[in-house]
Amino acid sequence: MAVTSPPIKTKPKFDFTPYLFLIGPLTLYLVWIIAPMFYSFYLSTTDWDGISPDAKYIGLSNFETLFGSMGKRRTSPFEYALVNNLKWLLTFITIPVAMGLGLAIVLNQNVKGDRFFKMGIFLPQVLSLPVIGLIWAWVYNPRDGFINPLLTSLGLADPPSWLSDKELVIWAVIFAAAWRQIGYIMILYVAGLKNVDIRLLEAAKLDGANAWQSFRHITFPLLAPVTTIVVVISVIDSLRSFDLVWVMTKGGPANASTVLAVLMYIQAFNNYKMGLGAATAVVLFMISLVFIVGYLWRIMKDEMEY
Amino acid sequence: MTTHPPTMTKSTAMEGPKTKPISTTRILLYVFIIGFTLVYMAPFFGAIITSLRTQDDITLNGFWSIPTAITFENYPRAWEQGNVNRYLLNSFIITIPALIGTIFLSSLSAFALARYKFPGNQLIYFIYVAGTMLPFQILILPIFLLSNATGLYNTYWSLIVTHVAFQMGFCTFVLRNFMKTLPGEIMDAARIDGASEWGIYWKIVMPLTVPGIAAVATLEFTWIFNDYLWALMLIQDDSLKPVTAGLSTLQGQFITNWPMIVAGALLAALPTLIVFFALQRYFIGGLTLGSGK
Amino acid sequence: MSNFSKKFAVLVVIATLALIAAQCGGPTPTPVTIVETVEVEVEKIVEKEVTVVETVEVEVEKIVEKEVTVVETVEVEVEKEVEVEVIKEVEVEVVKEVRPIIYNSYNSDPGPRAFDEKMVALFNEQNPDNPLDHSVVQHEDFKQAIRAYLVADPAPDVMTWFAGNRGRFFIDRGLIMDISDVWEEEGWNEDYPKGFRAMSEVDGKAYFVPSNWYWWAVFYRKSIFEEHGIAPPETWDDMLAACDTLDGAGLIPITIGTKFRWTAAAWFDYINMRLNGPEFHLNLMLGNESYDDPRVKATFMKWQELFDHKCFIDDAAAYSWQEAIDPLAQGDAAMYLMGQFIMDSVPEDVADDMDFFRFPIIDPDMPIGEDAPTDGYFMSVNAQNPDGGKDFLRFIGGVEAQSMMVEDLGRLPVHTGVDQELFTPMQQKGIELIQGADLVVQFFDRDTTPEMADVGMNGLMDFWADPYDEDLLDEIILDLEATRAEIFDSAE
Repeated sequence: MAVTSPPIKTKPKFDFTPYLFLIGPLTLYLVWIIAPMFYSFYLSTTDWDGISPDAKYIGLSNFETLFGSMGKRRTSPFEYALVNNLKWLLTFITIPVAMGLGLAIVLNQNVKGDRFFKMGIFLPQVLSLPVIGLIWAWVYNPRDGFINPLLTSLGLADPPSWLSDKELVIWAVIFAAAWRQIGYIMILYVAGLKNVDIRLLEAAKLDGANAWQSFRHITFPLLAPVTTIVVVISVIDSLRSFDLVWVMTKGGPANASTVLAVLMYIQAFNNYKMGLGAATAVVLFMISLVFIVGYLWRIMKDEMEY
Repeated sequence: MTTHPPTMTKSTAMEGPKTKPISTTRILLYVFIIGFTLVYMAPFFGAIITSLRTQDDITLNGFWSIPTAITFENYPRAWEQGNVNRYLLNSFIITIPALIGTIFLSSLSAFALARYKFPGNQLIYFIYVAGTMLPFQILILPIFLLSNATGLYNTYWSLIVTHVAFQMGFCTFVLRNFMKTLPGEIMDAARIDGASEWGIYWKIVMPLTVPGIAAVATLEFTWIFNDYLWALMLIQDDSLKPVTAGLSTLQGQFITNWPMIVAGALLAALPTLIVFFALQRYFIGGLTLGSGK
Repeated sequence: MSNFSKKFAVLVVIATLALIAAQCGGPTPTPVTIVETVEVEVEKIVEKEVTVVETVEVEVEKIVEKEVTVVETVEVEVEKEVEVEVIKEVEVEVVKEVRPIIYNSYNSDPGPRAFDEKMVALFNEQNPDNPLDHSVVQHEDFKQAIRAYLVADPAPDVMTWFAGNRGRFFIDRGLIMDISDVWEEEGWNEDYPKGFRAMSEVDGKAYFVPSNWYWWAVFYRKSIFEEHGIAPPETWDDMLAACDTLDGAGLIPITIGTKFRWTAAAWFDYINMRLNGPEFHLNLMLGNESYDDPRVKATFMKWQELFDHKCFIDDAAAYSWQEAIDPLAQGDAAMYLMGQFIMDSVPEDVADDMDFFRFPIIDPDMPIGEDAPTDGYFMSVNAQNPDGGKDFLRFIGGVEAQSMMVEDLGRLPVHTGVDQELFTPMQQKGIELIQGADLVVQFFDRDTTPEMADVGMNGLMDFWADPYDEDLLDEIILDLEATRAEIFDSAE
């Protein structure tokens, strides 16, 4: 058998092979994901009720309805949803990220039994969101729950009403979501830290850099790719949030904990306004698009370097 | 909630990994880690304890009391009366074919995208990557209509197809990047020996991709298994529901009986917990693979 | 390599099993197999000695470090001696395909669920050739899921639903089957009181089978009232005084769980009816009266007085309606404005201590209105088994099923053929309560459209969260009126 082979050139003639490999998966993807996405765009410009055969084209009035409801003294459901999604997003890209990074660094210090701690902190990530929702609904339950009976027995007369206080409720839900998220981020950073060359840190120490300086100027910049990913994941997860809210509060009280996905579900399936529901989903999509494009841009740059 | 990086890095820099004097910072570090982990897992432990008690006990004495009795009967009750057995079986019937379909179809596209240069390669790759980040809520209404039109609505297949389609973006992304790292010479050599392109995919690249597949499959298993919204949308028959959606029926059935509900929730979580503990290495590998290079 | 093949083989086996399972566990509407066993004996005796020589080509591919692929072809000869002896008994199954009746129900609470299952079992026993496939969906989820059920194909045959306006949307869009023939054949036009026919029909055609109804009232713990010397309040002032007494004693006067918002809607219904009369209330629900009518605001202001007197439990929104029963059952709370179905969830040992009274009178000059919702069944126009579905309706709307429902759940029957002797004192009292009313309505979210109800209940929840913010109240009322105008005025 020939061991020495002539250098292979990429074949000049048009090659159908890759398309044959792609045809199956790509067809499914286009039919089941991409086409439905565009169909939602179309629905968002109609007043369809989901049943009647005819859907009237009404231009952008669904969007006008949504955005027009904002800024009133009484917060509209859409405004609650939008603001809550943003609160969720901002929380997610800061606190769990910082905590995940902190834990990763702490557990990276040759800690004995670090595997056990990592597993413990990662555990919630494995549970499904309805399970997390049920557990936390119980944790917050004012009578039979975990927190408030403890606070009462510690002498606090009037503990916060986590899930029924309009100001507090969304934070209570986000807290539960963050509880699930931190382990995920920690694991990503733990993996990232493996690639940080310890010698760099030692050299920096020799040069008299203190811990904060070497973190600030060496570790953190080296972790930049991980951080990008972590932020993207956090953004996407925060925009997708539905399950926890649905299981824990159904968006209540009075919409105070609703998010765009829940609102969409209510509009479409409770109020029979498919068009408005689709418009809400499109708004959600537009927010994600900013991040999707940013991320694609980064990947594209990577690809070009090949 | 506080963040700790600055102080913690300090302790590293002070000691370095080689010498290990038992300093006070080191002790504080352990106290912190152990304390933190315990507090972190408290809701989980609390849930387990609750599931072993009776509602009457909790109602009378509150959660923060010494249990008057420990009972395991909530689990068999949730299992049978709460139908968790049926729901879990459904979850597997949905998850396993969906998982295999996802991996298989993704590996095909990943192979094409990783190993060939052709017009549209980058575009298709970006479509897949963009799809992974789609807020899937935008697909709910159309996919509901689509599965209804294709007669898949209210069958396992509606969920299987939807999961395969939706998870394919992520899997393709991971596997494509994994396959890109394989040395190209193997393929070239095989080609010279007259191997077909399919043969190269199936007999050379796929076996070498097994570590990547194992990692991504473990991760996908939990993602598909844990889905809730699609199950809520695409299944109406109680006997077909996966366990995530079934929990809500369970909750309706046992309303204020927290021990029962929590026991059901823990049972529902069991398969993913087992997969996680048994295949931890792959699981974490999948996460890090997915986060790109 | 071979390792991979093995792994792959395992995967394939699992996949195949899963697919088989997927087929078997099957998307229900699977046909039910009715097996009539015909025994056919087939005996085949094969005795042969066979020698098989198989030539197997094994391709072994190895990846050598030099990155050369070697393909070896090995010829293997296998000799096998096969002795086959087959004696077979074959059961031939004669399969009649009957699609089961698909019945989706929202009866997820323990009591109604048990009763539902009992009915299904009974029906299946009586109709072995026409089995019923029963799915229970969580009550609150059902309210959204039904929208999908009705446009799905195949749609469930029979579904639970509410009488009144909530079905109207579906009927108007042609999604509900006309079952006038069932009414006709079963003689329900005579055996059901006229009011029930009226709430089941549109343009003279019947679409709904009302199967039971119940009354709303303030349920209370007799022992707590006795202990504190409280008589069941008859007027608004009595009610406020009772709150003061109970609150002073460190008890929760009224418990309520508003996690699902409709519990709060009952308070709006009643205060509005007692203050402004049931006629105005019904017209408001139907979109004929405006929400910016000063009478609506007066209702809220009246409601506020209950907050002044600390009538309600704290953190109401944290509880589902069932969870809010706990304080009542434990003797921490005294009253709960609820439908008769509260008795399904009250623990047995407390049930004897429960009684109810009519919602207090606010303006003695106003006629008396009561909420008395009717529940029942309808069928999808896409039903795959319309005959079977109608059989189930006949069964569930008949005297036998309704009598059992009276006994098991304490609801009131629609069929006049149900023996009056069955009624417990509590049911008798409930009937009297309704008979004493000048106008009976369904309920907040059953008398108006789903969207109006959604916006309305959100308004009520906003009010509940801060009952003293009058500017907020004005905004709520403005929003309600805007929604009403959009829905009802444009429809004309």
